[in-house]
Amino acid sequence: MLNIWRISWRNITRKKKRFVLTLLAIIMGTSFITAMLIADRTTKDVFDYYEEMYTGNADFWILSDEHTYPEEIIDTVQNHQDVDETLMALDKQTFLDLPGEYSDSQLAVRITGVDNLNSNLLKLPVVEGELDNEGLVIPETVADLLHVDVGDTLSFREMGEVKISAIVEYTQLLSSPGSWERAASSSFRMMAPLDLLQERAGLEGEISYIRLSTLGNDEKLFRDIQEELSDTSAFIQPVVADDRQSNDVEGLYTFFYLIAILTMFISGFIVFNMIYTGVIERKKEFAIMKSLGYGQISISRLILMEVSFIAMIGTIIGVPIGIWLGDLFMMTLLGIFEYDMVYSLNWFMPTVISLVAGIIFPVLFSMFPIYSAGKTSILENLKMGANTGPNGKVHWIRYVIGFGLLLFLFIDSPVSYIGLILSVVILSPLFLKIFSMLIKPIILLCMGHPGRMAISNLNKQLYRNANTAALLSVGIAVIILLGALSDAAPENYASQIKANYGGDVRLTAEKPWSASDLDRINDKDFVESSTLLTEATPITWINKDMHLRQFSIIGVDQNSLYYDDFNYTSFENNDTLSIILGERAFQEWGGKIGEDIFVHTPEGTKPFEVIDVAVTSHYSGYVAFMDEEQLSHQFGWENSFDLLIHLDENATEESVRNALWSEFGGFLSKVIFVEDEIASTTSAFEGMNELIQFMLVLVILLASVGTANTLIMNTFERTSEIGTMRALGFTILQVKNMVLLEGFLIGLAGVLGGLLTGLCLLVVASNSALIGDFVTVYLPVESIILTVAAGILLSLIASWISSSTASKIDIQSSLKEG
Amino acid sequence: MIKVSGLVKSFTQGKNITEVLKDVDLKIEEGEFVAIMGPSGSGKSTLLQLLGGLDSPTNGKIEIDGKAISEMSENQRTIFRRKNIGIIFQNYQLLNNLTVEENIAFPLYADGTLDKEKMKEVKELIQAVGLNELNKKQANLLSGGQQQRVAIARSLVNHPGVLLADEPTGNLDRSKAEEILLLLTQFHKKNNQTIVMVTHDIFAAGFADKIILFKDGTIEQIISREEENYAQYLANFMA
Repeated sequence: MLNIWRISWRNITRKKKRFVLTLLAIIMGTSFITAMLIADRTTKDVFDYYEEMYTGNADFWILSDEHTYPEEIIDTVQNHQDVDETLMALDKQTFLDLPGEYSDSQLAVRITGVDNLNSNLLKLPVVEGELDNEGLVIPETVADLLHVDVGDTLSFREMGEVKISAIVEYTQLLSSPGSWERAASSSFRMMAPLDLLQERAGLEGEISYIRLSTLGNDEKLFRDIQEELSDTSAFIQPVVADDRQSNDVEGLYTFFYLIAILTMFISGFIVFNMIYTGVIERKKEFAIMKSLGYGQISISRLILMEVSFIAMIGTIIGVPIGIWLGDLFMMTLLGIFEYDMVYSLNWFMPTVISLVAGIIFPVLFSMFPIYSAGKTSILENLKMGANTGPNGKVHWIRYVIGFGLLLFLFIDSPVSYIGLILSVVILSPLFLKIFSMLIKPIILLCMGHPGRMAISNLNKQLYRNANTAALLSVGIAVIILLGALSDAAPENYASQIKANYGGDVRLTAEKPWSASDLDRINDKDFVESSTLLTEATPITWINKDMHLRQFSIIGVDQNSLYYDDFNYTSFENNDTLSIILGERAFQEWGGKIGEDIFVHTPEGTKPFEVIDVAVTSHYSGYVAFMDEEQLSHQFGWENSFDLLIHLDENATEESVRNALWSEFGGFLSKVIFVEDEIASTTSAFEGMNELIQFMLVLVILLASVGTANTLIMNTFERTSEIGTMRALGFTILQVKNMVLLEGFLIGLAGVLGGLLTGLCLLVVASNSALIGDFVTVYLPVESIILTVAAGILLSLIASWISSSTASKIDIQSSLKEG
Repeated sequence: MIKVSGLVKSFTQGKNITEVLKDVDLKIEEGEFVAIMGPSGSGKSTLLQLLGGLDSPTNGKIEIDGKAISEMSENQRTIFRRKNIGIIFQNYQLLNNLTVEENIAFPLYADGTLDKEKMKEVKELIQAVGLNELNKKQANLLSGGQQQRVAIARSLVNHPGVLLADEPTGNLDRSKAEEILLLLTQFHKKNNQTIVMVTHDIFAAGFADKIILFKDGTIEQIISREEENYAQYLANFMA
């Protein structure tokens, strides 16, 4: 009996090099998909994990617009019948007392005192020591930086020494700088028992907030407490796991999927090429099989088995590589965030999806050859022998569609990018034809007859060669777009931050700024002007999908320094409760301008009309703006914890920082210069840029595997022709040059097409209302040089493989084949 | 003149060594039209390939116009071939994506010697083989007879001293075969080239001055058309 698998194996390995390259394409495609899916899910897990750790099991918290409030305010709350567990906390800013030359800003530390470190409302992953409610809890990064261990003591200014009880992993509650350089702009964070902190800070009976979990009747509890607290500075808010204000990773997921789709597309094309050429070569074989009684379906099934077989081999090898690649990617990615985040690889579902996708996508891409094999005509093929495949004629309908798709460029939608990429693929034969016509005189002049033959061969397999070039073009175009985004984004972010930061430096205090504090500040030589920034946080609200979200609402008035991009008069002309949303908040909300957003206020949930969308750098746009009076009236938010300062032009950053910390260090929690904000926003881009370049060089590598595959197929198909050329006097060198030149021309066409497409994408993107603010028609020179060099070099390497195959063609046997 | 002495060609397949040509000695004078005949596997095509420098012998020496091509490197043989030898194949071996004109000019392209003068000669050749209406047509669109005419013109374009033809009429019917053979004879007379033609066809062999009969890798007999029992011997041998 015939072993169908053995026959399939024999068939797919008939052409060894082609088999290896196709397998390589499937392996690369599958491993990329696996890696990207793993990266996507693991990143989501990591952020969910830290978000959950931050919120604990708490359902509500009660905060105040003053720094602290007396514990007795919430006595009745603690005893409410629906309250299950509570956790009281006090935040206190102080300084480490360390020997050595450190500035005050570097030594700033914020200690959070809690009444039970083992509470269910707190998640502290202990690395070393115990949560004994007696000593300090510090994050691992700080322990490493200060070279301290459990049992050691740390000394604080005016608060004395405290023993370290436990060292914990990274958690958002204790997120601290890992270097002295970063310590200059952000405080260390530690935890201590509440009573100890209250006593040392002289704040007995005071707390900053209380977290609580309920027994289930949330709505009633919420209403009861709202009522209870109505005459106090405290207010209740639901605890919402929403950290969009502090991180903007959605763009990252889009990037992951973009890379995965791109690699799948390229791999699929390589598989299509291999199977289609194989089918054309074997038409005579199929004709014989049909003449012996095989039906259309049987032949299609045979090819399907062959494709499935190679897909299975590729997937089995590709998926483990993908898991390893995913792990590597996660390490690099989280390294960018500078925190010691831990992750456990979410590999199971991505592996299952990749196993299915790895087998299905090559089959999908091979549907046409599979169908074509079944449709083989007995008479035509037995009479004429194997055909040489499609000719190089240009079909006008194809080009009408291609040019039609270019009209998508005028639509501001993500669809326009897909339209452009499709039109690149569709128009690529025309482009290659025109390109070869234009370059022919130069090639003839430089390369003589091998050049003439290379040009002629390009046109002979016009569609295949054009598709190969198109793959490279698409890869390069995406690189240019992403390169421009990641090159220009820091600059654009910087200018946007500068435009609406509201000053040169922002001071955040742990108590509201008093009039006397402001006088002292304004008396400083380095201060030109100052303005209070009122920010109510965290305010919870409901999006259109009825999910709870939280952000800050910034109070604005006519004199506010910190908005540029929306019109304050919108508030004046509006009698209703109104709000302006930042871009990301607007997107997350999901409504339209003029509709109401529901926000939790101390008086209950109220509708606010969304009257505008602001392009702002504050919290990367995940923020809202409200008229200051309305904010005070609706939220009872009277105080300002933030102060924006415009500096004198002669002031230096270091002297200002030191002066502020030494005079106001007792209650300052953050001193953030606009440059600090720019640096922290853009530093992630630099890391991302390297990652993008690395990933996209891999995409070009995959596209080059496609080029190698195409050229090898071109060579195999022309074995007899190359044999004839050799018989007629073409030297081995001339044959090699001819094939090398073919590869070079495909690569060059791909690179030029890619540059052109990339520029079009840039123009579309920069005119887009969606991302236009972050893209300018600007050439990312570094990315372009890298891609052009990589594209041409890898195409040459790819063509070298087939040129050496072509040069080894045996003249006699190739003539017999003909 | 072609001079072959002690020519041996063997092929190895695994542990088996097959000797296709066994110590062949042969001399073909300049301007002679020689046909090589013999049953399949007798070594006639192998001899032709060795004469054309498409392969190198296992042993022995081949000299063409005093040049020992058997001692040349592959590259030297290629260059020698394109300057001195024309080859006509049974299945024409035209380059399908090139036009008639380009196919004929191909050896000149390869040699880098195509100029206006040579292009004029190409056009004359196209006219001589009766294809002047088709010179811009792609090769794969021609009939078998037309393709072989292109192949003949191509083999002559470099004015080679030696023309090697491997079953040039093998794929053609009798009337087309006659046309091609008459064309070959016409060029032979005009240019005084040495022609070595491998054929199975007695009719085609009848156009040659001399016939070399091959059997089991050796020359069985060489007979001249002038000999009395020429036709009878040939018929007996092929039978």
